[in-house]
Amino acid sequence: MRSISLYVDKDSLIHKIDPITKLIYTFVSVISPFIIPTILVSSIFVAVNMIILTLGKVFKKVIPIISFVFFIIITIFIIQGMFYGGNSTELFSVFSLTFYVEGLFYALRIALRAINILLTFSIIILTVKPSILIESLVRRGLPPKLGYVMHSVLQIIPMMSSTANTIMDAQKSRGMETEGNLWIRMKAFIPLIGPLVMNSLVSTHERSIALEVRSFSAKTQKTFLNEEKIPAAMKYLRLVIILIFIAIVVWRVVL
Amino acid sequence: MAKISVNDLFFHYNKGTPVLKNINLKLNNSSTAIIGQNGAGKTTLVKLLKSLLKPIAGNIYINELNTKEHSAASLASEIGLVFQNPSDQIFNNNVLEEVKFGPLNLDYDKAKAEELAVESIQRVGMEDMIDENPYDLSLSERKLVTIASILAMDPEIIIFDEPTIGQDYENIKLIKNIIKNEVKDGKLVLTINHDMDFVAELFDRIIVMNRGEVLADGPAEKVFSKRKILEKAHLEPPSVQKLSNDLGIEKTFLTKKDFINYFNSL
Amino acid sequence: MSKVIIKNLSYQYPLGDENALEDISLKINKGDFLGIVGPNKAGKSTLCKSLVGLVPHFYNGDFSGEILIDDLNTKNHSISQISLKVGLVFQNPFNQISGAKLTVYDEVAFGLENIGLPREKMIERIDYYLKLMDIYDQRASNPFEISGGQMQRLAIASIMAREPDVFVLDEPTSQLDPQGSKEVFNAIHKLSQKDLTVIIVSQKMERLAKYTDNILLLNQGRVIDYDKKEKIFARDDLEELGVRPPIYTEIARKMNLKNDKSYYPINRKKLTDLVVKKYGQNFSK
Repeated sequence: MRSISLYVDKDSLIHKIDPITKLIYTFVSVISPFIIPTILVSSIFVAVNMIILTLGKVFKKVIPIISFVFFIIITIFIIQGMFYGGNSTELFSVFSLTFYVEGLFYALRIALRAINILLTFSIIILTVKPSILIESLVRRGLPPKLGYVMHSVLQIIPMMSSTANTIMDAQKSRGMETEGNLWIRMKAFIPLIGPLVMNSLVSTHERSIALEVRSFSAKTQKTFLNEEKIPAAMKYLRLVIILIFIAIVVWRVVL
Repeated sequence: MAKISVNDLFFHYNKGTPVLKNINLKLNNSSTAIIGQNGAGKTTLVKLLKSLLKPIAGNIYINELNTKEHSAASLASEIGLVFQNPSDQIFNNNVLEEVKFGPLNLDYDKAKAEELAVESIQRVGMEDMIDENPYDLSLSERKLVTIASILAMDPEIIIFDEPTIGQDYENIKLIKNIIKNEVKDGKLVLTINHDMDFVAELFDRIIVMNRGEVLADGPAEKVFSKRKILEKAHLEPPSVQKLSNDLGIEKTFLTKKDFINYFNSL
Repeated sequence: MSKVIIKNLSYQYPLGDENALEDISLKINKGDFLGIVGPNKAGKSTLCKSLVGLVPHFYNGDFSGEILIDDLNTKNHSISQISLKVGLVFQNPFNQISGAKLTVYDEVAFGLENIGLPREKMIERIDYYLKLMDIYDQRASNPFEISGGQMQRLAIASIMAREPDVFVLDEPTSQLDPQGSKEVFNAIHKLSQKDLTVIIVSQKMERLAKYTDNILLLNQGRVIDYDKKEKIFARDDLEELGVRPPIYTEIARKMNLKNDKSYYPINRKKLTDLVVKKYGQNFSK
C-alpha cells in the first residue's frame, strides 16, 4: 500500500536541490509571467521548467497531466479566437466561423501561463518527498500541528485500508453481498461507511491522546532525527533566483 | 459427510511465500481449538473456511458446499465468525437493529428476524441494553452484541476469534457458558485462542499450527501431553499441565478439577 | 521512598453519572512493580489516565484530590510536562501510532524529537529499544502496515525510549501470543530492576503473580485492597470481587496447601514444593 504521494524517487540533479529552494523558485516561476505578461517571458519559463523536469527524469509523468489540460486549452483557443473583445484582424475562417489574430494571441498568453503553472508545481510534486517538505517547513517555523495535519493526508490510505478490509470481511461474513449489480453494491456501502467513520473518529480521539503523552504540545525546541544537509551551493542558487525575480520586477517598473 | 472438510489446502498471499501448506482436516462435532503462535496461519485458515479467501490449491467444503463456488455472504447461514474487534462490525445505532442485520441478510422476514434477534440478545444476557446505542456500551458489552449477531443467524458452525481478549472474569464466564450451550445444541464450535487454560477447559479437539502446517491434531489430553510438539510451535501447555510436568506425573491434566481430584484419590 | 502519592482522588467523567474513581489514597515507592486488578469499570484505566494527567487536563470532568509524582502535582502541570516523568501505554496499539511518521524507526523518534533530545542520543535509544522489543527488523516498515502484535511492541518501545521514571501500562499485551507477552513482561521487569517504577493493568493473573511486587485491587472506583501480591492473591473473595485468582493459588486453596508464612503459593514452583512436601514423590505413573 502506497501512501498518497506523486513523488517519484530518482537520483537526479534536481532531486538534490532542497525543498525550500524549490519553493522559492515556484513562487518566482508562477508570478513572473504575470508581472511581465508577454508571450516571450511565459515561453522562457515554460522552456526552463521543461528542462528542469527533464533533468529531474520526471518529464514523462507530466505528459498525462498536460494532455488532460490540452482539451481545455483548445477550448480557450476556440472561444477567444472567435469572441475576444479586441478582435479585429481576421486570420482564417472555417465553416463560416471566423478566428481573429488578437484573440488567438490572447489565448496563447493564457495557455502558456497555465502550462507554466502546471509545470512549476509538477517540479515540487514530483521531485520533493512530501514528508521532507513538511519537515523543512516545520524546521523554519511552520506550526507543528499544521505540519501534522498536512502529513496525516499521506497516511490516510495505509491507516484506513486494513480497517476497511476487515470491516468488509465482517459484513460479508454476516451475509451481506458485495458483488453483483450496482444496486447491490450501493446497498453494501452503508454497513461499510458506518464502522469506518466511527472507527476513524474514535481513533482520532485516542490518537490525540497518544500525541499528548509523547509531548507533542510541548513548548520545548524540537530536534530532528533526520539531518538537513543543504550544500552551500544552494545558497547561491537561491540568490540567483531571487536576483532574477528582482530584475523582472525592476524591468516591469522601469519599462 | 463431515461438516468441514479441508483437502490438500495450499494458500499464499504473494507467490513464493506460502502461508498454508498441505492442510487436510475433517471437522465434525467435537469442539475444536486452533492454537499456534502469531503468524502460524490460524487467521488465514479461518478466513478460508469462511470463503473470505479462496484456496490457491485444494478444496474446502462447508456442509458439502465448495467454498470456491460460493461467496462468503452465501455461506453465512452455514458458518458464522465472531470477529476479534467489535468495532469492525457494529454499524447500527441500536442493539436490536444491529443483531437483526444478519438474519435479514438471510432472507428471514422482518418478524422472524426480530424474533431471532431478541432470543440471541437474551442468550448473551444483554436484554436490558436492547434499545441502547452500541457506541455507548463498553467494549465487553459490544463483544456480547457481536456474539448475539452471529447466534441470531443460527449457523451450524460457529468460530470464535480470540473471544477472551480484553474481557474481564465475569464476561469470560459468560462466554464460556455460551460456548458450552452451543456445543450442547450440537453446533460445531471452533476457536482461535491464545488462552491455553480456556482452551483446555472447553475444547475437546486441538489443532496445533506452526508455519502454515498442522503439527498436531487430536484430543486435548493427547495433544497437550506432547511437549516436543508444543515447544516446536512455541506454545506452552495449560497451567495445570505445566504443574503436572514439574511434578513428573505422566497423566495429562486439563482442568484444575482434574488435578485436584487426582490428588484427592491418592 | 515514595515516587507516587495519591491523596483522596475522586473523579467523574463529564458525561458520567457516577464517580469513576472514589476517594483513592495510596503511595507507590520508587522501583515498585505494581499490578492493578479489578473487573471492568473498576477504574483501572481511569487511574492510569490520571497518573499522566489526561485526567483531568484532557478529559475535564470533576476532579478532586491530588496526585504527586515526586514533587510534581498533576493538577498544576500540563500533560506534556507530566509525560516527561510518566509514560503511558494504553490498550489499542493502532491508536497509539502517531500518524506523523512513515517508518517504525521514525515513529520512535517522534516522542524524542518532541522533547529536544540530541540526534546521537536519539539514535542510541531507538536502536536499543527497538531491539529490546524485538521489532528492529521492522524498522523501515510503515507503522500502519505491521501486525497487531508488532504494533503493540512499537507502542511500548516508543514510550520506553523516553525513559520516564514511572511507566504505566494498561493491558499492554492483549494482541500478543503467550511467548510475546512473556517477552514483554520480561523486558519490563528488567527495567523495573533498574529503579523504574512500573504500574501495569492486566488480566493475566499468572504473569502478575510472577513479576509484580504489589497488587492494587479496585472495584467500582474504590480501593478494596493494596498490599504485597502474596496477601492479595491469598484473599478468598477475589471471585466475588470480579477477579480471577492465579490458577496455582486456586489449586493450593482447594488442596489446602499453605506455605510457612500461612499464604497460599502464587507461582508454580512454590506450589510444586508444597505438593511434594505433602504427598512425597509417590505419584502413580
